[in-house]
Amino acid sequence: MKGFEFFEPTTLAEASQLFAQEHTQLLAGGTDLVIGMKALTEAPQSVISLQKIPGLAGVTTEADGSISVGAMTKVREVELSADVQKHHTALAEGAAEIGSIQIRNLATIGGNIAHASPAADTVAGLLVADAQVDIASADGERSVSIDELFTGPGQTVLTPGEIIIRFRLPSPASGSHYIKHKIREVMDLAFIGVAAAVNLDNGTITDARIGLAAVAPTPIRATEAENLLRGNELTSELLQQAGEAAAAASSPISDLRCSAEHRREMVDVLTRRTLQGAVARA
Amino acid sequence: MSEYTVVGQTVARVDAVEKVTGAAQYGADVHPAGMLYGKIVRSKHAHANILSIDTSEAEKLPGVRAIITQDDVPSGRRVFATDKVLYLGEPLAAVAATDPDIAEEAAELIKIEYEVLPVVQDVMEAIKVSAPRLQSDAAKDGPNRREISAQIRKLTRDKENDHSDEISKLEAALEEYPDEVYYNISAESHSEAGDVEKGFAESDVVVEDTYVIPRVHQTYMEPHVSVASADSSGKVTVWASTQGPFAIRSGIAGTLGIPLTQINVIGTTMGGGFGGRFGVIITHVPAVLLSQKTGRPVRVQMTREEEFIDGRPAPGCVIKIKTGATNDGQILAREALAFWDSGSVSGASIGSTIRVRGVYKIPNLKVDAYGVHTNKSGTAAYRAPGAPQAIFAGESQLDEIAERIGMDPVKFRLMNMREEGDPVPAGANEPKVGYKETLEAVADAAGWWDREAGENQGWGVAVGDWTNGCGPGGVYVSVHEDGSARIFHGSMDITGTDTMISQITAEILTIPYESVTIRRGDTDSAPYSTGSGGSVVTFTMGNTAKLAAEDAHRRILELASERLNTNVDNLELKDGAVHVVSADPPKSISLGELAAYSLSTTGGPIVGKGSFARQASTPALAAQIAKVEVDPDTGRTRVLKLVASQDVGYAINPMAVEGQIEGGTVQGYAWAMMEEMQYGENGNINPGFVDYRVPTSADLPTVESVIVEVPAPNGPYGAKGVGEPPITPTLATMANAVKDAIGVRVTELPIKPEKVVEALKSNGHGT
Ligand SMILES: Cc1cc2nc3c(=O)[nH]c(=O)nc-3n(C[C@H](O)[C@H](O)[C@H](O)COP(=O)(O)OP(=O)(O)OC[C@H]3O[C@@H](n4cnc5c(N)ncnc54)[C@H](O)[C@@H]3O)c2cc1C
Repeated sequence: MKGFEFFEPTTLAEASQLFAQEHTQLLAGGTDLVIGMKALTEAPQSVISLQKIPGLAGVTTEADGSISVGAMTKVREVELSADVQKHHTALAEGAAEIGSIQIRNLATIGGNIAHASPAADTVAGLLVADAQVDIASADGERSVSIDELFTGPGQTVLTPGEIIIRFRLPSPASGSHYIKHKIREVMDLAFIGVAAAVNLDNGTITDARIGLAAVAPTPIRATEAENLLRGNELTSELLQQAGEAAAAASSPISDLRCSAEHRREMVDVLTRRTLQGAVARA
Repeated sequence: MSEYTVVGQTVARVDAVEKVTGAAQYGADVHPAGMLYGKIVRSKHAHANILSIDTSEAEKLPGVRAIITQDDVPSGRRVFATDKVLYLGEPLAAVAATDPDIAEEAAELIKIEYEVLPVVQDVMEAIKVSAPRLQSDAAKDGPNRREISAQIRKLTRDKENDHSDEISKLEAALEEYPDEVYYNISAESHSEAGDVEKGFAESDVVVEDTYVIPRVHQTYMEPHVSVASADSSGKVTVWASTQGPFAIRSGIAGTLGIPLTQINVIGTTMGGGFGGRFGVIITHVPAVLLSQKTGRPVRVQMTREEEFIDGRPAPGCVIKIKTGATNDGQILAREALAFWDSGSVSGASIGSTIRVRGVYKIPNLKVDAYGVHTNKSGTAAYRAPGAPQAIFAGESQLDEIAERIGMDPVKFRLMNMREEGDPVPAGANEPKVGYKETLEAVADAAGWWDREAGENQGWGVAVGDWTNGCGPGGVYVSVHEDGSARIFHGSMDITGTDTMISQITAEILTIPYESVTIRRGDTDSAPYSTGSGGSVVTFTMGNTAKLAAEDAHRRILELASERLNTNVDNLELKDGAVHVVSADPPKSISLGELAAYSLSTTGGPIVGKGSFARQASTPALAAQIAKVEVDPDTGRTRVLKLVASQDVGYAINPMAVEGQIEGGTVQGYAWAMMEEMQYGENGNINPGFVDYRVPTSADLPTVESVIVEVPAPNGPYGAKGVGEPPITPTLATMANAVKDAIGVRVTELPIKPEKVVEALKSNGHGT
């Protein structure tokens, strides 16, 4: 690891000012950053901790049923939050897939998203929750939709000095489900991840959202598949069409983990399974 | 009931407290004053000529104390590559600096000019004429067709002169080479018994398949580390994390030309080894060289990434195998052709290919094995070296035969198993081993005979044998005035072996286990001891300790006879005291009293000596059954049940034995289902635990172990080697279970989800 200066600001404004400088990194839980620094893929001159800034952690449910998750909320807290489990099951399930309990007690949801790995386990759940990402900087706050946040592997629309402060999950879908394709039960990175969320009215799908991780340079929504589902009942035929449409929307790569073809096939399989799970819960 | 009181019992390990509290001193805990940090400079290419190595920039970096290359190896023995590198990560130089970060930075500042050469990673490519030749001077290298063809092309292109005579001569030479010439061969081994062609001709069923087994790493928890300190007199002290301090001593002496007695190797608590912790070049020799050059202690410690690119893992292998049997289940012939991936050097346990014969009566057997050079690091032992690979092929194919002739896989194996006195193809006659007992035990324990399988569920069985060995060892046992005993020896505690040695000593001296302590010396102080590998430690050191304790026992009776004024024949050592047999009133003297008395006798203190080597040990068998469930859409496999039995001779410490059975079985499971060192254009591409998957406890249920005891004639209390056998059958056990579940066989390990999905597609699933 290269040497660096360490800052522990107590206000967002101070943190943002420091973070606007070149060669800086934010420290949330450190589970991505420290590993990168040890491997020398990251060599920041300053590391700015977010840990001393009050108000960035915690899950709160608003009067209108929407939920707000602070960027510094530990992934373990997201996983165990009764409200998240109930209203955004896919997000809780995604959080529960990260590493081990030890890792989840350190890792934050903000770090998981800001790191912008296409394989991040909370991202598909946030996509199907239609999450809004609140961002703060010295110039004030702004908000982007989660599906506009990512621009490439490890890349986001965040500009120097911008810090994610919370995720807002609008009123929930009635059922959602996340499945991660992996080899090991725990401590494995997603070969792919799929989340589905549906709203049902008397058996008819009024809204459907499908989020795909690790099948494209950024996490994506399978909008074609979603459109097929809206306004229909979930027949086995429709399920098959939705799976195929989601697979067609993906553009995975072949790498040491598996082939692009296998990833695409698994998008199909897991889209069908997560949809069935989401409908069963709705 | 057992006639013994301490052996045969589960006792807490002698090192339990120090391990649990963190007091145990591992290699990286050693930190002599003034210690420098070493770093190996490694090749960034898998195959290249080295044009130049420029250390001048690195030398200028403050804090750098020494940089060495092959020029600094006085003996001239190859420690660093000079003109050519054969794998990514091959050592080219080493740096010592005052701080690990400086050492790393200096290593980056060393400028190396490469001329990159074509790479070959796959054994089946490497044996082809088109492959780059890796060791051009290798004695076993095949005739070079490519060079001849190139010469022909060159002459043909030269239109100005007439080369037709020369060309036709070269073409004739090319014609003469047989098709089956293998290139890049590093070693070969062949054996034959009976007449396989005749055996196949007489068979009703003949099955032929090819099995592919990947290279895997031992993944011990503690990476290689050594601290070396050379003093001004030339004496070298090495703190080494190793399975064999005496082997490291002779290795350093041989490599660097230092007199044996000028080297003291201190073995540090070992964070696992599994056969991979015997090598001397990896860290020990560079540490000594750097210390000699700087006059300061130097630590060389590998990172996990270095472990993957420059460790000495287990070789991968491709095995073509063919078996013939009659319709009533008799195996008549088996033939195997194996290509072992030995990497840049020779080795790779090719001799283990013979294990395709298993423990069966196969009258006709032919085995041909080749070690093949590729652009990878060399290999070393890993728990029963070579056996899991060969047995995977042999036991997988047995199930294919059993299926074709419609016979139960357990019954088929039982029917063909050798018995005591049976001839062993290309081997000595069979000793008494519990082959059938072990297989029957696992079948009974797993519920094989009335097994049920739901949809996509399957059962698999396999057995694996291992020969076990023996080495030299020495032990002293002293009895003290408080009646306690202390053992002194030089072998590394690898799997609880110090505990086993203590149990045997306590048993012979009839004292409680807690009254025995054990101390390991360094190579300067302790008697010679075999390395802790090859399942030899319990057999060797158990016998040695028994001899030492019996020697002490003799002296104890001698002393008691003086004290109690009676012939030794009337004396008996029991419960820590010597008693006069059937004396009325009872008459006895305690061990403590005898030890105190001994100090003023002409015969002196109670010191027992044991020295032992080269007794024939007895083979062992492991038999396992797995029940799995496969998700046919995602290809993921879940283990529902894994039962492992083993003939251990005699379990001196049953819990330790179960630990070995569980550990070996889990490692075999991992090799079958997920572990694999992957190679790309420029070497290893998964050098870390993110993409080299070792299973966690969440991946499989508790292994149910079943201990079978068929005593080994020469073993201490009938015990035999236990550590290696349990890994040998698991690869096939898992593959056979998956086959049973999905009806199609995956012949290439690991059985990853993608391969299962592919295999099912080839069988019509999902289409
Ligand atoms: C052993 C292990 C296993 C893992 N397994 C998984 C897994 O299964 N699935 C998975 O998805 N991940 C996994 N991870 C990755 C990691 O744990 C997660 O990505 C984690 O959520 C990152 O959060 P953090 O708080 O530790 O981020 P940090 O490491 O502190 O930061 C990561 C990056 O995000 C930036 N950042 C952090 N917070 C903010 C913010 N509020 N605003 C803007 N930028 C910010 C930092 O500058 C830094 O670049 C694993 C990691 C380890 C070490």
